[in-house]
Amino acid sequence: MFFKKIFTLIFAFSFAWTINASAKTEIEWLQWFAAENTRDFYEGLVDEFEAANPNISVKLVTQPFGKVRESIVTDSAVGVGSDVLGLNMPWTTGFLKSDILEPLDKYMSKGSNSFKTENLVQAPIGKINGKTWMVPLNAFPFVMHVNMDLVKKAGFSKPPSSWSELKEQAVAISNLGDGISGIGMPLSSQPPSNGPILTFLPLLYSNGGRIMNGTSPNFDNAKVVETLNFINDLKKSGAMAPGFASRTGGVDLEEFIAGRSGFLISPGVHASAVATRNPDLNYDLVRVPTNGVNAYRVHGWELGIASKSKHKEEAWKFIDFLLSKEVNAKVAKASRALPGNLDSLDLVSGGATPVMKTQMNILSGDEPVEELRQAPSAVASWSIMTEEMQSMLRGDQSAKEAATKVQSRWLDLIS
Amino acid sequence: MRSAIIADLKKDMQKILNNISNESVPYLFLLPCLLILGSLLSVPLYKVVEYSLYDNVIVQKNPSFVGLQNYKEILSDTAFWKATLNTIIFTVGSVIGHLIIGTSLALLVNTDINPKARTLFRSLLILPWIFTAVVVAVNWQLLLNPFGIINYGLDKLGIISEPLDWLGDPSLAMWSLLLISTWRGYPFIMVSFLSGLQSIPKELYEAAEIDGAGFFGKFWHVTIPQLKPVIYGVALLDLIWTFQLFPLVWLTTGGGPGRTTEVLSTMTFRYAFVNFEFSQASTVAVSILIISAAFTIFYLRNEKSKI
Amino acid sequence: MSKIDIKNLVKYFGPQKILHGIDISISKGEFCVLVGPSGCGKSTTLRMVAGLETISGGEIIIGDRVVNGLKPRERGIAMVFQNYALYPAKTVYNNMAFSLQLSRINKNIIDEKVREVAKILDITDLLDRKPATLSGGQRQRVAMGRAIVRDPEVFLFDEPLSNLDAQLRGQMRAEIKLLHQRLKNTVIYVTHDQVEAMTLADKIVIMKDGRIEQQGTPDDVFHNPQTLFVASFMGSPPMNLISAKILKDGIKIKNSEINFKKSSNLKIDKSIIFGIRADDIRLSEEDKSGIPVKGFVNLVEQLGTENLAHFNVGENNFIGKTNARAKLKLNKEYSFNFNMKHAYFFDPETGARIS
Repeated sequence: MFFKKIFTLIFAFSFAWTINASAKTEIEWLQWFAAENTRDFYEGLVDEFEAANPNISVKLVTQPFGKVRESIVTDSAVGVGSDVLGLNMPWTTGFLKSDILEPLDKYMSKGSNSFKTENLVQAPIGKINGKTWMVPLNAFPFVMHVNMDLVKKAGFSKPPSSWSELKEQAVAISNLGDGISGIGMPLSSQPPSNGPILTFLPLLYSNGGRIMNGTSPNFDNAKVVETLNFINDLKKSGAMAPGFASRTGGVDLEEFIAGRSGFLISPGVHASAVATRNPDLNYDLVRVPTNGVNAYRVHGWELGIASKSKHKEEAWKFIDFLLSKEVNAKVAKASRALPGNLDSLDLVSGGATPVMKTQMNILSGDEPVEELRQAPSAVASWSIMTEEMQSMLRGDQSAKEAATKVQSRWLDLIS
Repeated sequence: MRSAIIADLKKDMQKILNNISNESVPYLFLLPCLLILGSLLSVPLYKVVEYSLYDNVIVQKNPSFVGLQNYKEILSDTAFWKATLNTIIFTVGSVIGHLIIGTSLALLVNTDINPKARTLFRSLLILPWIFTAVVVAVNWQLLLNPFGIINYGLDKLGIISEPLDWLGDPSLAMWSLLLISTWRGYPFIMVSFLSGLQSIPKELYEAAEIDGAGFFGKFWHVTIPQLKPVIYGVALLDLIWTFQLFPLVWLTTGGGPGRTTEVLSTMTFRYAFVNFEFSQASTVAVSILIISAAFTIFYLRNEKSKI
Repeated sequence: MSKIDIKNLVKYFGPQKILHGIDISISKGEFCVLVGPSGCGKSTTLRMVAGLETISGGEIIIGDRVVNGLKPRERGIAMVFQNYALYPAKTVYNNMAFSLQLSRINKNIIDEKVREVAKILDITDLLDRKPATLSGGQRQRVAMGRAIVRDPEVFLFDEPLSNLDAQLRGQMRAEIKLLHQRLKNTVIYVTHDQVEAMTLADKIVIMKDGRIEQQGTPDDVFHNPQTLFVASFMGSPPMNLISAKILKDGIKIKNSEINFKKSSNLKIDKSIIFGIRADDIRLSEEDKSGIPVKGFVNLVEQLGTENLAHFNVGENNFIGKTNARAKLKLNKEYSFNFNMKHAYFFDPETGARIS
């Protein structure tokens, strides 16, 4: 009799609890953005959203960039997971293979959306298998950062705009000695070993080249070989910093900030890092030197919905909020990037620095290229590209051989 | 009559129950710990072995059972054997480095110097062990940077004329890794030896001195024999730990350049979290387990007779 | 074998002066025992001869070489330690052969020597065993064997029998003595046990607080103690030592007088310390010679061969000897005869012997 009483009590209590709990929907947002902005900015956004949507509470789950990808996969395998996912375009094919993402088409076509689809940066919303899988929170082009002091010291008055100018200036800067190099090549095997996509791809695109043919790898082509030869040339002529095989992207950036590199090819967001860490640097930002084409590699922070989410409608509401004109402009400013919703550009450009303005010009004027979203086993392929490029730069193989090897290894990987 | 028998039976039952509860009390105390440890160890172990027998675990909802297919694949994969070789080189090299440096420093710290100085050195010399792998990795990456301080020093001494890419040159990377690993791990050996050294009676050294043994003679004939049990135990632990060592390798070279420093543990991680090929990753992980277990059994069996 | 000369040996441990100038001359083949209470410096002296402690001042000469600054292995010494210090991982054979192996001597010669010594010490059947499996006495023999094999100029023993039980100690003492008679080696032997000193030594050196109190033959030192300390240290039971005053025809101990023919260098009225061995005090019944003194027995110790009778004369306690069969009652007064021919007199301030 006593036990019966206790059980009833517990039962009733938990029932009341769940009822109460289900009055408010809780959704989780898994991302790394808040780790890069520690001033409670995203917490503030969440508060703003919750105030406007009292039935939804958002739980911010912040993890380092590297961990987010792992978490998404393992969470999905176990059957748990967040509802709104912060995404990186190269992760796409892997996630699609495991059915992790929810197609967004029916949400994108809603009339109640706070944005217009044609105003979004197009790269992430391109259809794969006939569906859209993610939307852009923000975007940044790959650019070339320039140390004008070194450029001038080497005897030039303005930054290079073509490949030949780049080589000429980089060699001259390297000759200044004293630990200074023209340009670095971050080809470390250390994870994520993304050197090739940081430096090689932007150069390839400004040469009008591609590494993909639709959804299949096409690394072994003339433009790729030409670009590889250019990079090899930079090394042989002495323009490249020593230690390419142990140089990570982070070190590459650090060396530039410290004033030891003339040029750095990397995402435009690094401009703010340079400005805050070394304001004395005579800094300029230009588009990646071209070999005939004005194209840029586009990158950004994307948003998607987990296919296993139990609160997809609420999740979309939150995403819609983040893409709305004012909020998106705020995000762009806070992350020192360009808004995913191009409609917010004028909000952002008011008070934008010249550097930001240059980026915005590139973003709106030049041709954006994004291939990794469709690339199979994208992340794994970077290791392959890194290793073959290391081998080429060491002199163990030619550019053609490197390209061929990458292609065959990549195909092996996805078979 | 009957009631007496029943009463007796009751008494016996009571006694038996008492005995059981008395004897089982210690086990009851152990039970929570055993349950937790058991589940934390045995469940993942079982799961990983299970994963290795399937194809496309985790990424697919219904993975297919393939038995030993994965094992056949990795056994015929040259990359796997290369990684195994690298692991052996790395492990044996590190442990030898640990033993040499750890023993030498233990001997040095054990000499008769000012006790304050001795405590100071002992504390300083333990430091490498205390840092986490990330700190060690970042620290050494900075030191070994082509424009880092080690190259600078070597250049000033005239030993090299061009900066060396310690972690990026295939011929140097493994050596650099061994250097870092030795630096990180020697304190364990040093501390174990120190306590062993301090238990050796001083008179043995005096007798050896009188018998004509020099520094090396005393070390070989007195120190080493007394430390043999310590050496075997400590070396075994070190070998096992270093065999599976992951963070230090992953964070300094990532298995590169070009997989020249790829060890079995980094290979496992790469399969799992870069390629998302969890079946292959489990297979490599199980092979690490098998090799470690086999080695341990062999080692212990051999040493039981010696100690 | 060599002689040893220790000249004005001084030792400092930090600011502490431990040895205040030790002079000992040991001739070839002599068995010299350093004896004294703990902390007297005997072990330090031995270790300085061995080369295990540095020399702060003075010289140590082995044979005709000054060995100051030489390493132990260059001095031609061998040492037997209190705790044996046998190499636990080596067999008895290898323990003994070790020093020869280090000198790269021919294996056959080593074998010959080791077996020869093993035979002398009767440990041949122990040669293949490890020290952990041996008894205390066996280990001690191995330790000695290790020293003998080296054929050194000097043997050094550092309290080698202290870890053995009484019976074994007696046995080993005899063995060491026999060994010495046979090998005729020069020995410096350190002990705190004066019985060992008396039985083993050709020469005894009694040390106290880093100084030599007296050195000489056992007979010398026992029957002719030069200082109060020596007198009280040697002999068991210890010598009776009582404060007394010189009288015209005897001595006065508190309220009693002992009258005897005193020697001339005892000034009248001088306060002295009067010493007499228990052996020279007998029950008047048993021994007619000597001066009778009356005392109350308060304790009787039975040694088996004889009894020790503790009695007090006034406030002074004496120990005397009686036959084993004498039955003394406690708290009864008996008469004891003091053999004053063997009485000793010491200056109470300096401790030096007057007569």
